[in-house]
This record gives sequence, C-alpha cells and structure tokens, in this order.
Amino acid sequence: MGNISKNAYGMTLLCPIRQDDAAHSYSNLTRDCLETLPLHDNSPMAKVPNTYLCRLYVLDDVFYQGAPANEEHLKSKYLVFCTNFHGDRDTYLRGMWNAVQEDVKRIWGYCIAFDKVKTAGDFVAYAKQCQVTNSLFFNGSDGGPLDEQLKALYLRQEFTRFAFDNFGKSAVELQQAFREFVAIVQPDNLQTPTWAPGMTQETQQLQYSFHTAARKEEYA
Amino acid sequence: MSNIAGKAYAMNVVTPIKWYRAWINRLIFWAGGLPFFSSHLKGLTTLSLIHYARWALVSPRQFPRLDESQPKETIKYTYMFFFSNFNGSWNQYVDSFHMAIPAGLDLFWHKNIKYPNSIPLQPFHSYINHNQIWTNHYYNAYPLATSNDIKAAIAVKKKLKKFIELNNFDSPELFQKEYNKLLNDVQEHLNLMEPTPIVSLSAEAVEKRRTADHHRFRNRAASSS
Repeated sequence: MGNISKNAYGMTLLCPIRQDDAAHSYSNLTRDCLETLPLHDNSPMAKVPNTYLCRLYVLDDVFYQGAPANEEHLKSKYLVFCTNFHGDRDTYLRGMWNAVQEDVKRIWGYCIAFDKVKTAGDFVAYAKQCQVTNSLFFNGSDGGPLDEQLKALYLRQEFTRFAFDNFGKSAVELQQAFREFVAIVQPDNLQTPTWAPGMTQETQQLQYSFHTAARKEEYA
Repeated sequence: MSNIAGKAYAMNVVTPIKWYRAWINRLIFWAGGLPFFSSHLKGLTTLSLIHYARWALVSPRQFPRLDESQPKETIKYTYMFFFSNFNGSWNQYVDSFHMAIPAGLDLFWHKNIKYPNSIPLQPFHSYINHNQIWTNHYYNAYPLATSNDIKAAIAVKKKLKKFIELNNFDSPELFQKEYNKLLNDVQEHLNLMEPTPIVSLSAEAVEKRRTADHHRFRNRAASSS
C-alpha cells in the first residue's frame, strides 16, 4: 500500500476551502494563518506525537503547460496537508486533535464541512474524506517511534563528544568517565535527557560534558 | 512562506497527465513497490539525502468533494502530486536525481504533459520550476539532522546499548580493549551536528525576521493585557 513504508505512514490530505464571498477570500485567510504559525519547536506540529516532517500549503489552481495542452482550472482551492509519521493513521489524527485542537480549528477553520468537526472521532472521519492514496511512498529512514529517533540523535551527539574528550586517557580514567557518561545520558530513558521535537539548537544542559564539569567543580 | 526547515527542503510539484494514460503510471508505481522491481528504486536509496518522498495520482473525481455546495471539479487531466523532504539545496537535489536515476525519473513522470525527460538538465529544471508550489508552513522534528544523521544515530545507539549490556566493566584494561573495538566499529557514524551548514542565506534571513516579528507580537500582546 502506498501510504505505508516500514513503520512510517505518509498521509496526504486535500481539504477543499470555502468559496470566496464578496467580503472574504478564505484561501487567503487560510494562507495567512499558515504563514503566521510559529516555526520549529514552537510549531503546533512539534506537539503532535510521532510527527517526523510535515507541511501545509494552499493549492490555488493547477498549472497550464502551454499549447497544445488544454487550459483548465480547479473550481475549489485546497488546503494540502502532507505529513510523515510513525504509527497508524487514526491514532495519529486522534493524537493531533488532543494535542493541538485549537490550532487545528484555526488552520482548518475555512475548510468546507470542517464546522461539523467537534471531536477527535469527527476529525478522523473528516481526514478520511479528504485523504488521497499515495501511489508510491519512499521512506529514507527506519520509520521507528520519534522518541527513539530523537534519543538516538542525542546519544550519538554526546557519544561523539565523549570520544573526543576522552581520547588517550588511561584505562582507569576512561572507564570512570564512561560510567559517568552512561549515568548522565541514560540510554534507556526516552523521556530525558533527549532532543526536543523541532529543536534548532542544543542547550548546554543537554551536553554531557556540561554535567561532568559541574560535578568536578562540586568535588573540588 | 518557506520551503526550508533546518536542513530539510520541502518540494511540491503538481503535474498533469491525460486520464487515459494515468493507469500506466499507476502500474509503474505499483510495480515499483514490489520487491522484484524495488531494486530499480535503488537509486533513491543511493540518494541518501531524502528523508521521505511520495507520489500521488489524483483523477478529477478523486478530488475530495465534501458538500453539495462545493462545485464539482470539471478538469479533464489526472494530476500527479509529488512531495519530497530532502537535505541540501534545490539545485543539489534536482541535479542529483537527474544524475543518479534519470531512467527512474522518466518512468515516474512517464507521459506527463510536456515532461521534457530528465536529460538534458536545463529543460528538466524549467519543468520542475514551472510546476513547483511553495510551502506555507513546514515542520521538521529534527532541523539539526540530515537523513544520514538519523540513520547513523540509530546505528550508534544500537551498538552503544549492546556494548553497555555486554560489559560488566570489571577490569579497566578489558573495558578499554572493548571500548576501542566499539569506537572502531562506530567511527564512521560519529559526527557533531550543528545548525550549519544552512541551506540558504535568504531562508535564514526570513527566519530571523519572523522570529523578531513573533517576539514583537508577543511583547505587544503582553503589554496590552
């Protein structure tokens, strides 16, 4: 099936936007809403569990390819939502509704039939109506849970620091340093310390060497 | 408006195809998903700069119509929606595709209206440019990481956890020996991720302006409340 690859799901929604009236251009209002959403870790999508990458855009029309192609136009404008996530569709959509319901209402507020969406179940039903099936979905990653991937990125970053910091140390020093490293990075703990979804820079507190330096000061 | 989030670029391309030819494209994509034919997609794997990509063929009657008040679409062509999330610049991506899997591209865009084929490069560039749509909001869970960083991180995590499980660390000398083996094993996957290199200076400038606007808006809201 074109929507699933390994454990990742690629969902594509084409959501028709209400026809403009004399006073409002609903496609422009939708576009304005999207353009002013906060970015990265402040994006509402950062709060939606298991979202790898997603995008939203307004499809105003299709493109004319020039003669001898036919010139044709869409009767409606569409809000296109393309998201890549771990897990199954319905759980994801329910999680999205529960996490960022107010943002969802704002983003989809000018779409046809969205006024009937009042619950997570309604949102799932609405999304199903707007979904188009992918013909091919390519997954360049492992499709694992997002918290596992973010923990892996954190561990790799800190282990790289560890390898540089402890190069050439004696066996005793190295073993002691590694014990401290494992205690600080907690490889099995997916909650903390780890990278936050959408994070654009590391805080000092995330770096294992910050903690070892603090400990040394404490013992001195 | 931005197609860039950290190290990822979002590409959207919408192209028409005659409805009576679209079934051939559906067949090509269906075959592309089969294990026997998936080796022909090996070029996509080689292009390890891709996080996720997809193609969706939408015929006129498949455009969602949710209410009687919504006018019926009267278009005749079927439209192919292409979405990609990749690392690097637009030029790097399009050129890599063109060089690594030209035949694959020609299959995927088979008989799309006015598709010029992937070789030579300039008409292909123009075709993608003409049919590309800008993203209004793009979110990436790992702006600091590339697709390769994620694959490498998963490999490091797996080996590091196994190392911790298998070693009881009784003897420092034995520990050091095993640690050096581990390091040798994962060294190709180690690297420090930084916000740089940025994909585009203009995207960075837009982001700085938007962050400043956001702070200004919040400060104004706080002072007026």
